[in-house]
Amino acid sequence: MDIFLQFVTGGLFFGGMYTLIALGIVTIYKSTRVFNMSQGWMVTLSAFMLMTLVQLLGVVGGVIAGLAFGALLGFGIDRLLMRPLIGQPLIAAFLLTIMLAYIFEGINILVWGSMSYEMPIKLPGESLRIGGVVIGHSLLWGIVTAVLAFTAFSIFYWRTLMGRVMRATAEDHQTAQSLGLPVKRVFSLSWMLAGMLSVIGGLFLGVVSGVNMLMYQSLLGAIAVVLLGGLDSIAGAIVGGMILGLIQALVVGYLSPSLADVIPYIILLAILIIKPYGLFGLVRIERL
Amino acid sequence: MERPAGIFDIRYEQDMAIIRTRPQWICLIGFLILLAILPLFAGSYFLSFMILTGIALIAVLGLNILTGFAGQISIGHQAFVAVGAYTTAVLMDSFRWNFWATVPMAGVSAAAVGVLFGLPSFRLKMLYLTMTTLAAQFIIMAFFNHAFPDYFHAVSGIRVNRPELLGIDFRENEAFYYVVIGITAIMTYFSRNLVRGRLGRAFVAIRDNDLAGEVIGINVARYKLYGFATGCFYAGISGALHASYYRMVNPPQFPIDVSIWYLGCLIVGGMGTTIGVIYGVFFLRIIKEFVTFISPILGDMVSPFDAPKIGPGLGIISWALVVVLFLIFEPRGLAHTWEVLKSRFRHWPFKFSI
Repeated sequence: MDIFLQFVTGGLFFGGMYTLIALGIVTIYKSTRVFNMSQGWMVTLSAFMLMTLVQLLGVVGGVIAGLAFGALLGFGIDRLLMRPLIGQPLIAAFLLTIMLAYIFEGINILVWGSMSYEMPIKLPGESLRIGGVVIGHSLLWGIVTAVLAFTAFSIFYWRTLMGRVMRATAEDHQTAQSLGLPVKRVFSLSWMLAGMLSVIGGLFLGVVSGVNMLMYQSLLGAIAVVLLGGLDSIAGAIVGGMILGLIQALVVGYLSPSLADVIPYIILLAILIIKPYGLFGLVRIERL
Repeated sequence: MERPAGIFDIRYEQDMAIIRTRPQWICLIGFLILLAILPLFAGSYFLSFMILTGIALIAVLGLNILTGFAGQISIGHQAFVAVGAYTTAVLMDSFRWNFWATVPMAGVSAAAVGVLFGLPSFRLKMLYLTMTTLAAQFIIMAFFNHAFPDYFHAVSGIRVNRPELLGIDFRENEAFYYVVIGITAIMTYFSRNLVRGRLGRAFVAIRDNDLAGEVIGINVARYKLYGFATGCFYAGISGALHASYYRMVNPPQFPIDVSIWYLGCLIVGGMGTTIGVIYGVFFLRIIKEFVTFISPILGDMVSPFDAPKIGPGLGIISWALVVVLFLIFEPRGLAHTWEVLKSRFRHWPFKFSI
């Protein structure tokens, strides 16, 4: 039973990480209808950048500078690469995000090499021991941050003016534009939010498993989370993330560790066959 | 297809011909002769470049049918190449088949697996279907990594011998070059012809508007599966040659990076044109070779600590950046650029029109 709970807590942590990445993808998809394949690579790049910034500026300054970097990264992607593609088929933007992932990977290798580093941040607190289960405090921080990010995003989308503007833009770009909504600014803002989320994700993942090039391999699994929860659902991101994290941890624990990399894709295939729009996704009706 | 002034079709055969004019025939025959005599004066480096380009070309031709014509983006094409490679390797290694018999089997088995992963296309389209191909990449590679270790030998890899035919030994690159180039030429011809027929027109209809296609009587789901079958058949043939060229098959040869690289070739060349595939593959292959050539020189200029990063880093950035630039500035690819150039030349000194 203790081992089971241990697996569950580990699974919840990875679920939290998946949630943070999936939130980034969903944020972008909700307003721009672009599926950002490079989110996992953005997290890796942000983790490396954060590490360097913390080494230079100390923890507080480094994290603030890191968040600024994330926002700048998102803004730059939108302004330089996505804006010229407005009006072209969405698939062009989708392909561009795939290629972007490889550019990030190349930058990572060029600047930091393919070694593994330790994130120079110590999270406050100590690991908890409940019964026979040890819960690392970084795991706790990760889960709490994921839940906090989810709550903040829900409030932002449903209660603030900008959130409403974003949801309206998501419905129909042209209608939103003709109603006078700042569509371009909404696009930039969603990319900036996704960039900042990638920094937060990079921070926790870096603290727990070290900063290295292997991160994006496992982060690609977040794509399964997004489709499991529904492409445009914030709630889907957290539910899907937790489900995938738990299933992965339990399968690795009880069946075989070699299955870890395939689990997200088996789930992905299953959900696409059974319920293509995900658990909470909006079913779109097409017209000719 | 624009033709030079003064070329009129007066018979159906002329209207249907792929090669229409005498200069085009001369160019084609000249090019084929050039390919045939290449090993006489080319060095071993250039020969292996041509062989690898040919193998990649077949795979991208398949991806072009699936993505460029049928409009189903696949980001797991290299996994289908792996299916072909493993079919050849296992049939030769465990069942003592002749290489030539395994080549069509490689194509057929890859097509079967392609249809299997294309089955969700009954319900899915666009982005969602692309995700099934992503899943295909990882599930297929995990299968080769973990299943049937007696046959797949994931850890040690499977050794493959180069073929022999009518007493000719294809073990040397000079001879193997003819195998690859011959098959590439045949596959290019088939692909060019396929897309002009009923199948190709149905593919284009699905790509441009699947609902409209369904309304005019195309069975969309079935033709999507045909698209997967033909595209993956090409991948399988490419895989058979891949196995035979490297003399060895193991899972790390088939990463997702190469699947994406194939897509990049398609974007650079121009989706939905056969000639564009050739331009795209050659363009990105040349960039790759150029980077391998230039990175030791750049490595000497920086500190020894940074030198090993340059090769792999630049290797990835170079092609990804080229593809991004093409997506933004020339989404129709090199094939379109070439048409524009030709048109400019033809209409000079007037304003060009295309």
